Amino acid sequence: MTHRSPLVTLAGLVIAFAIMFGVNLANSAPRSGEYANPSASASASPTPTTEVQSPAATEKASPAATPSKTATQAPKTEQFPHKIVYAGRTKDRSTALAVAVLGGRAAAYVCDGRSVESWLRGTATDGEVKLTSKTGDKLEAKLNDGVLTGTIEVRDRKHTFAIKEAKKPAGLYRARGSKTVIGWIILEDGSEVGIETDEGGTSKAAPQLNPDQPKVTANGEDLNAAPVEGDEDI
Amino acid sequence: MSAMPAADPDATRPIAPPATRSKIGPVLVAFAIGTAASVSLGVYGRLHNPTGQAINLAGFSSGLAAKTWLATAAFFFGLVQIVTAMGVMGKIKMPSWVSRVHRWSGRIAVALTVPVAVHCLYALGFQGYSVRVLVHSLFGCFFFGAFICKMLILTREDSPSWVLPTLGGAVFSGLTALWMTAALWFFTTHGLTF
Repeated sequence: MTHRSPLVTLAGLVIAFAIMFGVNLANSAPRSGEYANPSASASASPTPTTEVQSPAATEKASPAATPSKTATQAPKTEQFPHKIVYAGRTKDRSTALAVAVLGGRAAAYVCDGRSVESWLRGTATDGEVKLTSKTGDKLEAKLNDGVLTGTIEVRDRKHTFAIKEAKKPAGLYRARGSKTVIGWIILEDGSEVGIETDEGGTSKAAPQLNPDQPKVTANGEDLNAAPVEGDEDI
Repeated sequence: MSAMPAADPDATRPIAPPATRSKIGPVLVAFAIGTAASVSLGVYGRLHNPTGQAINLAGFSSGLAAKTWLATAAFFFGLVQIVTAMGVMGKIKMPSWVSRVHRWSGRIAVALTVPVAVHCLYALGFQGYSVRVLVHSLFGCFFFGAFICKMLILTREDSPSWVLPTLGGAVFSGLTALWMTAALWFFTTHGLTF
């Protein structure tokens, strides 16, 4: 060939990519199961609880990362992205929950689709969420490798969960009217769990929500369902 | 095409038409390699489990802001690229060192995109949940494939005359689309902040 410098530029590009990838890998939380990390063992098998990503995809994520990590004993805290929603089911599959994070604040909804529901508010910092509801329900979880693992205590019943990010149209939605509040969790597999509560406090299963058509009718009122953001006032 | 003297020591390419006949074969090979690169990036972005990790750069309010400004700097150099390209082709009268500026501003522009692109790929992945994000993901793959193609073609002097300007335009358009679907979006939703 006549000119070599474009190839030098290309080589530089590939090297820069490799370096930046290395930096990103080094800054990620360590792979679960490799260390005596208590929160890692809880999230050791996220797949059964979240029915989202295929095991092949999770395995492919960074095959090269694991060997190089053994030197680090104190893993760097994983941070939340600025805006993200996690959704899934509790370990016993009875209850669905969704946690919306926005800039350090978090809003969550826990719902079994029949009568148990709770709206919680709190913070999301340094990979940890701590939320409480007005009636004293508590949600605490830690972010590990993109999986939010923790416990939710609703009406004195404690559940554990390990949930992953919910990408649209999955997520957390709410419709508020003068007489009714409806909460929905749409899970990554397309299933929906929702509860409709009227001003008297009576709850029942919510009407079906189609995220593309967010209008629903409840108690004679037309309501608009909107995604819930982490800093929302619940 | 040229208004400049042929014996210019600073020019990377002779401005006079090349003595050899132009060949399309090597161009097609370059296109194929560039396409393979684009597709690989897309496949990786889709299969890799995005980590949602933020990067942190001192002086910026968030990883997102850091990426936005890096991308904007890259876009600025992209604009320099377009202007100097016209100088290299003789469309605008410019001093002979315009080719050197073109090459170096291009290298700087692409270098600036690397940390942004790697983070995008690694932490966010190839997404389609909104038009903006889908367009960004597609052009992200396209941009690097087109750039690789252009570099490969530049190693030879026998490509048809329309190839380089087309590829240059494609790379610039790709960068513009990427900047608009991400950095401009950031500025319009978060304001012009650092």
